[in-house]
Amino acid sequence: MKILVVDDFSTMRRIIKNLLRDLGFNNTAEADDGLTALPMLQAGNFDLLITDWNMPGMQGIDLLKAVRADPKLAKMPVMMVTAEQKKEQIIEAAKAGVNGYIVKPFTAATLKEKLEKIFERVG
Amino acid sequence: MADTPLILTDEFKQHVRELAKFVEEGDVEETDRILDKIARLRESTLFQELGKLTREFHNALNSFRLDSRIVSMTEQDFPDARERLRYVVQMTAQSADRSLTAAEEAMPIVSNIEDQAKSLESQWGRFMQRDMSAEEFRQLSSELGGFLGELSSSSEKLKERMTEVVMAQDFQDLTGQIIERVITLVDDMERSLVDLIRISGQNMATQEVVGGEKEKTKEDHLKGVGPAVPGVDEASGLVSGQDEVDDLLSSLGF
Repeated sequence: MKILVVDDFSTMRRIIKNLLRDLGFNNTAEADDGLTALPMLQAGNFDLLITDWNMPGMQGIDLLKAVRADPKLAKMPVMMVTAEQKKEQIIEAAKAGVNGYIVKPFTAATLKEKLEKIFERVG
Repeated sequence: MADTPLILTDEFKQHVRELAKFVEEGDVEETDRILDKIARLRESTLFQELGKLTREFHNALNSFRLDSRIVSMTEQDFPDARERLRYVVQMTAQSADRSLTAAEEAMPIVSNIEDQAKSLESQWGRFMQRDMSAEEFRQLSSELGGFLGELSSSSEKLKERMTEVVMAQDFQDLTGQIIERVITLVDDMERSLVDLIRISGQNMATQEVVGGEKEKTKEDHLKGVGPAVPGVDEASGLVSGQDEVDDLLSSLGF
């Protein structure tokens, strides 16, 4: 299971990576915004994308849309972990095909629960 | 009274009536006298006007002083505040890094203790049930001795890491003070701007300045704005936590 963690704050990436390691996911990579993440996704065999929303360069929502528009990546599960908590944003993310939405600050238990839900669905 | 036009004052009307009478009667002397009076009246109105002008000039000077305060704010205080806030970002990032590093270092130490303890526990269980040879017990005793020694040195290391996490929180005091200063600056700026508007912009006060903001939010609602700050961002249209996110998504069929 290879996971790409996209957030412009390195501390948040570290926190997510640590939580993922605790959950048994050791194969992770990092990107600091959508523009760096997209080529990584296209080049590597990632199984899951965890992305922030508010980032310079390319925002998380645009990254999600780009992933869904790319036939090679379209089916990849995408989880948003973000401080954005406007209802219209959550609806927009849902419309764009997000698989999970976690608002910051979040707990390890929430991350675990949402990941399990995603894998359950994806099978 | 000061605003009543000269020609509408009772005094002026009285003079004009008298003037008409004296002119009619051909009284040159009296006519001259009345004309003098009217001229003096005009002079005093002139002084009043001058007084008004002086006051306006004084106000304008005051507002200019406020202006220069705003100029100094924009030239010095705000760049200064920007640097301060950058410093806050830097310090909080540093602190988070220190804490994370300490936790990452502590994790394998704890995992190691956990693994050894589990293995020793199961062997100990076998010993208690007398399901262990003398040779195995000798092995277990030496492992236990080694584990206890390691436990004390591991505890030492863990304590160090925890102290590091505690020490990494020292930023709060400093960033708190810096942020307080910036808040004071923003307060000052707000007050100066309000004063300036009150003094120089009375006529503009009624002009529409609403509308622009709304349009902007509508346009930008899909752009990320960062975390909602309690008491600053309006609560409507926001979810208040993970539970509400889950509810919203499940209402959308998720």
